[in-house]
Amino acid sequence: MNSSPPTRRSVLRWGAGAAALPALTACGQTVGAARTTRQAPTRRGQKVKLVFWTWVPMQKTVDLWNRTHPDIQVEMQTIPQNVTGGYQKMHASLTAGNPPDLAQVEYHELPSFMLVNGLTNLSEYGADELRDSYVPWQWQQGVFDGRVYTIPQASGPMGLFYRRDLFAKWGIEIPATWAEFEKAARVVKARGDGARLCAFAPNQPSWFAAMCWQRGARWVRTEGDTWVVDMNDDLSREVAQYWERMVRDDLVFVEPDMSNAWYKHVQTGQISAWIGPQWGDALLRGNAPGTAGKWRVALLPQWQAGRKASANWGGSSTAILQGTRHPREALQFAHWINTDRRAVDLNISVGYGWPAATGIFRGSALDKPDPFFGGQRYNDVFTVSDRAIDTSWKWSPTTDADFAQLQDAFGAAIDGEGSLAGALAGAQKSTMDNLRAKGLKARSAR
Amino acid sequence: MSVSTPRTKEPAAAAHVPQATGRGPDSGPRRRVKPSRILLVALLTVAALYFLLPVYWLVVASTKSSADLFGTFGLWFSDPRWLDNLSEVFSYGDGIFWSWTFNSVLYAGVGGALATLLAGAAGYALAVYRFRGREAVFKVVLAGVLLPSTALALPLYLLFSKVGLANTYWAVLIPSVVSPFGVYLCRIYAEAAVPAEMLEAARVDGAGEWRIFGTLVLRTMTPALVTVFLFQFVGIWNNYFLPLVMLSDDRKYPITLGLTTWQAAANRIPELNQLTVGGAFLSILPLAAAMLVLQRYWRSGLTQGSVKG
Repeated sequence: MNSSPPTRRSVLRWGAGAAALPALTACGQTVGAARTTRQAPTRRGQKVKLVFWTWVPMQKTVDLWNRTHPDIQVEMQTIPQNVTGGYQKMHASLTAGNPPDLAQVEYHELPSFMLVNGLTNLSEYGADELRDSYVPWQWQQGVFDGRVYTIPQASGPMGLFYRRDLFAKWGIEIPATWAEFEKAARVVKARGDGARLCAFAPNQPSWFAAMCWQRGARWVRTEGDTWVVDMNDDLSREVAQYWERMVRDDLVFVEPDMSNAWYKHVQTGQISAWIGPQWGDALLRGNAPGTAGKWRVALLPQWQAGRKASANWGGSSTAILQGTRHPREALQFAHWINTDRRAVDLNISVGYGWPAATGIFRGSALDKPDPFFGGQRYNDVFTVSDRAIDTSWKWSPTTDADFAQLQDAFGAAIDGEGSLAGALAGAQKSTMDNLRAKGLKARSAR
Repeated sequence: MSVSTPRTKEPAAAAHVPQATGRGPDSGPRRRVKPSRILLVALLTVAALYFLLPVYWLVVASTKSSADLFGTFGLWFSDPRWLDNLSEVFSYGDGIFWSWTFNSVLYAGVGGALATLLAGAAGYALAVYRFRGREAVFKVVLAGVLLPSTALALPLYLLFSKVGLANTYWAVLIPSVVSPFGVYLCRIYAEAAVPAEMLEAARVDGAGEWRIFGTLVLRTMTPALVTVFLFQFVGIWNNYFLPLVMLSDDRKYPITLGLTTWQAAANRIPELNQLTVGGAFLSILPLAAAMLVLQRYWRSGLTQGSVKG
């Protein structure tokens, strides 16, 4: 932590300031939780019922909990994913005063929930003792002003998925640096008969953010009660220029990943590498079954040879929303579902991501050689990657809007209007505007 | 079609004046088709293709496996396995697709029927009875047409939460039975189609107002009511935001909402890509059926009002 997080009081004050702004109600945002958390007294033997909103298909895990914890019954309700309406529902329920006890909240969304006082301060219920059970950087994502507001669940440490057979055919070594990666891309273009090394996805600001994260950029930080925005720094510009060159020299396909065209290229070997998160293994396995056995995983290429910097894409937590009457029981469940070995194995089977719990990897369902990756124990690579993620990355409470604008600007740049680096400059400005529109103090880092 | 009927006669008439348009003499005796007509047909064909292409894609896509969905040409079949796919749609997740189908039919069917009845009664009353504030009421209804239902979903949710109806069937049904456009259409139609003489005759014969409405008026207004029902049915069937905000128990979801939960999980469980497409295909079947069965009424409903008005 090289920057001080916002103080709780200041977060609350910002929330109050935000409430006065009609623009927030106009865009469907809520103005604050209508009910605050309080522990309801329970009689001996009384059954407690908890409601848990998530879009991750974890029903089997919840069933296991219900079988083994007869006094605390959890009802899992499947809601639409994050930006397709899930968060909107959560905010609406907070405003109405009938939120679920627990909810799936991604790391980058936590600050915006803090802004409306939407999360229960778990330190009051003993969450600090659980700290050592979790990977430090993921634990820190839910800590604001020294207090714990969520239990981390899973993340997406990144690596380089590559086709070993094609690399061998074209005589490409596994690129250890981004310079080598670019060279490899030139080789593929020259020898690949229409193939490219990989694709650049202008529709994935989260991926681009991860690339900047790896380079060492920190897009936002806080100083006192002010958000300092630094999206247009030299490091991020370097990343932007790198991919700009890859695009302009026609070394990569330009297409959204996880789209039809991308999957087709992956299936046909037109694409032979993907800089992806650990949870991307299921995407390759499920959508390109014909390439089984040919993939391998390596660590991310580095900006400086010999370094070991990594990045993360995606990650979410089990939050206990403001207003529950059973915070103790909810915390107990949130801790269990993310650390119990059987629970984690069930979660892994539905592809929930990379466990945030420490010491769980060895012997888990992830710790196996995988025939799809030619028998490689590919998750060992992600274990190394996970340890090499810089822990000081922070998210702005306006990330959804910021990234939507960045995505638009990337799209325009690809279509010839401006450059990727220019898009960063635009994002720098729009992010500050977004923060100020919420009634927050924001300044530019340079 | 009534618009284009007179035009079909023009080329024939023009053909009697050979070379009038300066074309070669050999084209004289043949029936020449006016360029404007060719243009019209071409435009309509393009429009039809434009609207039908996505449906065609959906049909083709619903026969494919998740891998073929991305790996093969989108507009042609590849290793069709339709029955497998569709039966999997129904069996996945303890057959939850059945629940969603039932819910959609319930919301759209019951909601649409009640909305039609209410709109018919309100439109008829506004057209036939004279009372103070009638125009004011009608204008408020008209204003309601302009208000997008999405904008009302959130306030409605807060309201329903207060009275404890959030996350119940009522939360979707009650807002669905309101159709300002239906009231508007029914009033216009009733004004034109329900003759005052008929009402007078019925009253002289001793029929009460309810009976007149229930037997005579509803029957006379059938085309308008079918139109309102179809609009409302389609509207509720496709509604996303209201159930999204109101419901949190996925057993109460309509198909639209349910499919997005599958799509969300497809990142982790890729076979759900196929199930989402298959489910989307199945979800348009009731709409297609409703259109085919009711379109006769709908067509006459749309034109009849305009002719008489």
